[in-house]
Amino acid sequence: MSAKDRETANVGSGLWKGLGMWAWLLFRISGLILVGYLFVHVWVISQGRAGVDELNDLFDLFHHPVLVFFELMLVAAVLYHALNGVRIVLMDLGVGIRQHKTVFWAVMVVAAATLAVFAWQALPSIF
Amino acid sequence: MSDITFHVKRFDPAVDKAPYYQDFVVPVEGSMTVLEALFDIQEKQDGSLAFRYCCRSSICGSCAMYINGRYRLACQTNVAHMGVPRVTVEPLPHVPLVRDLVWDMEDFFVKYEAIKPWLIRNSALPDTEITQSPAERLKLNMPIDCILCAACYSSCPSVWTEENYLGPAALLKAYRFEVDSRDEAGRERMPSWDNERGVYRCHTIANCSEACPKELNPTEGIQWLKGSAVRRRLLGRKK
Repeated sequence: MSAKDRETANVGSGLWKGLGMWAWLLFRISGLILVGYLFVHVWVISQGRAGVDELNDLFDLFHHPVLVFFELMLVAAVLYHALNGVRIVLMDLGVGIRQHKTVFWAVMVVAAATLAVFAWQALPSIF
Repeated sequence: MSDITFHVKRFDPAVDKAPYYQDFVVPVEGSMTVLEALFDIQEKQDGSLAFRYCCRSSICGSCAMYINGRYRLACQTNVAHMGVPRVTVEPLPHVPLVRDLVWDMEDFFVKYEAIKPWLIRNSALPDTEITQSPAERLKLNMPIDCILCAACYSSCPSVWTEENYLGPAALLKAYRFEVDSRDEAGRERMPSWDNERGVYRCHTIANCSEACPKELNPTEGIQWLKGSAVRRRLLGRKK
């Protein structure tokens, strides 16, 4: 579509409300978060060049409630991305294409249960 | 009989700078469809209202529109069944508008033609018809019902973001011929869909299957094509 066409096209109403659409959007967003985290992770580990004590001091920061919360959110992003990824791979193999919504909720139950275990460990550090 | 308000998106590029909505009150009776309501508006209230239609029996695919937030065929949408006093009628989303509810299908059909949507035969034609077993015919049941209304095409985020992507309708048609036991194309059709503008641009979002007014499943066809490409290229299979 040309820029002129894009201005007049019925774009606003086109945001389809299907589950697959939101699963995909969240998949992309969680993927971007994980790529962003990778750079943070590499930077943190690279601080080890300064020495063991310096690295340990840095690690102590991660006991701060806000960072523990972020870490829990990181686990949530990993779980979502990994388990929805399994669903996508299954669809690519031709499994569960017509049942993709059911499969989505099934893997989300697994994700939620796993996240609950992590949250059980992390919550005392947050509150 | 009850009065229903039709909230219709209007746009005439010769006059309007931007699209706008116009309300029309139509007395709806019996099993009146949205398409019939549009006829009523055109005949009695505003002759300039433009929309596309042909068969009026949901087999030509001309009147696909975005009606009350869903992809529907205007001719098979019974107004009374919707059970609402106000019906919003918009053109299909994310496609270039020509005027009012009519959009430019040029790109859609260029992409459709790109996948060679016909039976390719290399062997000599037999004197009688080319027979198929019931099991072979069964494979065509889903894709053969496509009426090229482009609801799937308009609903696909991969189409929105990549203008060269063939889209679900063309790929479903490619599936329809690749899976046909009478087709002898071999790899002839493959270059059109076995690339980044073809099946690999599909991110299995499945909006197309949600949107399809004929309740077909283009995602399933596209996934079969992906698998078929692997089977042919890596395992040397025929399909």
